[in-house]
Amino acid sequence: MSKSIFELVDELPTGGTTILALNALDFVIPGQWQNLTGFVNTIKTVTGETDEAMVQAIGDRAVYLYNDESQGYQRAMWLYQTVDNAAGALGMAAMANKLGQDISFLGFLDNLTPKPEKAQSIDLSIKMVVELVAYCQINGIPGDSIGDFLGALGDYGGESLMRMVALICFDGLIPLGPGFIDKGLSSLSNMTPNELEGNSSFKSVSSLIPGGDTAGKLGFIGQSFDSVSGWMRNFVAEKALTQENALGNLQKFVKVSGDKLDYVGAFLDVSVKYYTHTGTQTLARRLIERAVAEL
Amino acid sequence: MKEFDWRKGIFGVLLCFTLTISGCQPKTPSQFSQAQQESTQHNAAPAVAKDATQGSEFNKFFPKAQSGYDRVYTQEKKGFAEAKLNKDGKNVAMLAVSDTKSLPAAAAKFQNATDKIAGYPSVDLGTTQTSVLVNDRYQVKVISKAPDFDKTDRVSWIEKFDLKGLAKLQ
Repeated sequence: MSKSIFELVDELPTGGTTILALNALDFVIPGQWQNLTGFVNTIKTVTGETDEAMVQAIGDRAVYLYNDESQGYQRAMWLYQTVDNAAGALGMAAMANKLGQDISFLGFLDNLTPKPEKAQSIDLSIKMVVELVAYCQINGIPGDSIGDFLGALGDYGGESLMRMVALICFDGLIPLGPGFIDKGLSSLSNMTPNELEGNSSFKSVSSLIPGGDTAGKLGFIGQSFDSVSGWMRNFVAEKALTQENALGNLQKFVKVSGDKLDYVGAFLDVSVKYYTHTGTQTLARRLIERAVAEL
Repeated sequence: MKEFDWRKGIFGVLLCFTLTISGCQPKTPSQFSQAQQESTQHNAAPAVAKDATQGSEFNKFFPKAQSGYDRVYTQEKKGFAEAKLNKDGKNVAMLAVSDTKSLPAAAAKFQNATDKIAGYPSVDLGTTQTSVLVNDRYQVKVISKAPDFDKTDRVSWIEKFDLKGLAKLQ
């Protein structure tokens, strides 16, 4: 059986590569992301509630809501976890021996294969679409309502905004450079359904992407990425984000080399599970907000 | 014949012992284990009633944005809709409507209510929540998120909902 929501939140790490890498992005949205872990702690922080009986009642209701499969929360969790794992699957075996040792990029270099630019561009767009679909599963707006999602993006904060910052930096700017949005758009427009079917990230989550057949799903991915590209472009400009400052801040926390950027992208794929981590935090927050309002 | 190395033997026994203790020690059950068990058993009642009203039905009864306040819808699920109330970009309260068909205990708490808002029974929960029950079914709740958004504000925002319209919803 899959894990309970309280186990997933209780087991969120307080340290390690993912947390170090996310903290490295604090410069983009200073103080907006705190690594909130622990189910009871999350209930107390989100609601401001200290009464133990109330905390218990909120938690119980959140557990019930998560376990009601018709509500879509478990599908959202699955999406966050799956898209993280698909990106890092290749390097995982090589990583296993190194875990627990000093976090050093150079130590991994021999075991990593840089991802071709096209595959990286597709990963970026798939992750963006996963965000849209997971958002709708959690918050309930129909699955293809891109316009509503764009409105919501503008109101993103906390761990949800951090996930988008990480997407832009770790899957866009650092591996692909300043033209990452156009590279994504052009990769998608030149892609055939057959090519898309060969992409491991797409394969892992395709069952939950709207659009019907692969051609329809490709259309949906392209349309979604195109719509969100404006928001991303504005965000990058507004925060004065560059490949250099993203990488420079990352290097303060994680030892990564700046002269092999494609390898850095592969390293991040393998060792930084930011969708799962911040996705669990987002999901817990929404469940708790709903539970407290329903009681 | 090779001599038995007692140190290796002891080491093996100790290793087994350690693994048994550390591996099989039951975890302290979480305070939410009971809810987990109840909600995942074979015939568990769903968290949301099958005939609960769709959240999209509730949207039109929410207060409109006004004088410095923005309303941003955040959740729209079966039996539930919620919006943030923001002032100058800062979240000051949450506005929510829920169908108590899914959670009868939520409706039951109004049975002994002595207060009323706009004619509907009203209760406070903790220090940050005020709600009313409309048509014995729909709970309208306002939750403070900023310290200066007090009970008077919560009552005033509950009154801004179209409660009469909501009462007609079947």
